[in-house]
Amino acid sequence: MKRKNSIMGMAFFGPALVLMTLFLFLPMVLTFGFSFTDYFALNPELTRFVGLGNYISIFKDELFVQSFLNTVRFVLIIVPLQCGGALLLAMAIHHGAHCKKYFKVAFFVPVVMSLAVVSTLWMQIYSPEGILNTLLGHLGINAQPFIHSARQALPSIAVMSVWQGVGYQMIIFLGGLQNISPALYEAAEMDHATGWQKFKDITLPELKPLCVFVFITVTIGAFRMLVQPMVMTGGGPDHSTYTIVYDIYETGTVNWEMGLASTMAIVFTVFVVVLTIIQNVLTGGGEKGASTESRSFGFRRKGAGSGRPGSEKEESHADETTKTM
Amino acid sequence: MRTKQQRLCNRILVAAMLVLSLFFLFPVIWMLANSFKPDGAITADMNSIAAFIPPLPGRGFFANYTAILTSTGFVRYMANTLFYAAVLILLGIVVNGLAGYALAKIPFPFREQWLLVIMMLLIVPTETVITIHFLIIAKAGLLNTVVGYILPMIVNPFNIFLFRQVFVNLPDDVYEAAQLDYCGPVKYFFTMVLPMSKTVVATVSVFTFLNVWNDYLWPSLVFTSSDLLTAQIGLNSITSNDNTTMGQTLAVITLVTIPVIIIYSLFSRQIVEGVTSTGSKEG
Repeated sequence: MKRKNSIMGMAFFGPALVLMTLFLFLPMVLTFGFSFTDYFALNPELTRFVGLGNYISIFKDELFVQSFLNTVRFVLIIVPLQCGGALLLAMAIHHGAHCKKYFKVAFFVPVVMSLAVVSTLWMQIYSPEGILNTLLGHLGINAQPFIHSARQALPSIAVMSVWQGVGYQMIIFLGGLQNISPALYEAAEMDHATGWQKFKDITLPELKPLCVFVFITVTIGAFRMLVQPMVMTGGGPDHSTYTIVYDIYETGTVNWEMGLASTMAIVFTVFVVVLTIIQNVLTGGGEKGASTESRSFGFRRKGAGSGRPGSEKEESHADETTKTM
Repeated sequence: MRTKQQRLCNRILVAAMLVLSLFFLFPVIWMLANSFKPDGAITADMNSIAAFIPPLPGRGFFANYTAILTSTGFVRYMANTLFYAAVLILLGIVVNGLAGYALAKIPFPFREQWLLVIMMLLIVPTETVITIHFLIIAKAGLLNTVVGYILPMIVNPFNIFLFRQVFVNLPDDVYEAAQLDYCGPVKYFFTMVLPMSKTVVATVSVFTFLNVWNDYLWPSLVFTSSDLLTAQIGLNSITSNDNTTMGQTLAVITLVTIPVIIIYSLFSRQIVEGVTSTGSKEG
């Protein structure tokens, strides 16, 4: 019986295992290994071990340092706008009594559009004689170069990305807001709490785990910025919108310098993994996640540590958001 | 008194939100309205409110759309992408579903450790391995082939995890009853397990479709010949062509978005469930 189980298990798990080995484990090992060599894919025979040489040289490489700083700039603009915007929108929709369904759809529309579509559309919007400059002209503002100037290109792309993504986090926050028990607000009203006090003492603490989740996912998303500059500016003007992932991609697949690209990829991955670990620590680990995941699909998990008092609430919130959408 | 004041506040809030939503949607409204106009009209209307109003239906109303559909490879790119999505949905459900079932129900050696490994894989961003995927596919001589595009995209640790979470809740007595009827494990999986788990199958299919449809980097690396391109890459090659007018550009990006809108309106339940469950999963 035991033998039969291990044969059957491997037969079921095998196809996935083979593909994971080829396209996940092997690439990770190779990336790590290559990062200590000067592997040049067009001339692999000459590969030498260079130790930590790549790690030192990428931080001396002006272009990588610039792409790193650009990425940080993207993060610094996108994260507060997108997280704050999503929370404000969600609260306005939650508290406003009318047109809930319209607002949800309206602010979600850009999420549906792909990055390539949004980038192409905004190239037209941002063009020197485009609609945005015409609208600004009516307000008495001179025409702006937007993506055609080294100073404005990065903020322009960042604002566009916020526009595209904010509806997604808004839906997550709306789920969280519906999840807060109205009794808490009623109690606060008995004590004559002001709107700000209710927000500070009830809404924010209740939403804290969601806020951490949204903050980290938006940060990671901004860190991975690539398609927008690729389509809109090609990383320019003057490399002002060149990002880490763009540099990894060009170094690896255009210049074939896999050694350097792997080093950059490792540095990038370390950042992302550290952010994810911080998130898991702040929100109390994945154990709880495992049980809510299955709940949201309408299945009840037998035993297995799902007896947490709060988890019933989460189940109902997924259902509610679904209905109201 | 309080309620009256609150109601007034509510009205102001809703009115403000209505104005905000119009500003928020102006790029989309502009895109739709002008995709029906020739370039001359787009420039002429730019300075007035007409920039946001589509022309009256008449002769040449769909001119931009017919130009895109007949004189570019766009229909081909759409068909390609639909085909890739269909293949990846089928293969993805079989490969990830079987793995998820093994992790949920078959006590094979190191099962718990494999589950841990898969949960750890969820953290690693795809950008880390994409240059190596490119290298592997290039060395295998599979660049610019459908197989080379599809192979690295089949297995998905997140979907394995999703399947496992659902399958682990299936009752065991059905399997025991099926065994009495001489139903083998593979047949049981396809005729009982998958049909019993329609929700997760639908969710995985929808997300696989959206992923394939919207993906940009991987297809742009693999495909070089124009008859294999996906819609997103094809869109880029159409709009970067100098002969494409502004109106045609707006028409093509509208066309690329239509299938996604259909998917969202048909499956909004599954998608919102997915969005909110990723939220509550980690939060």
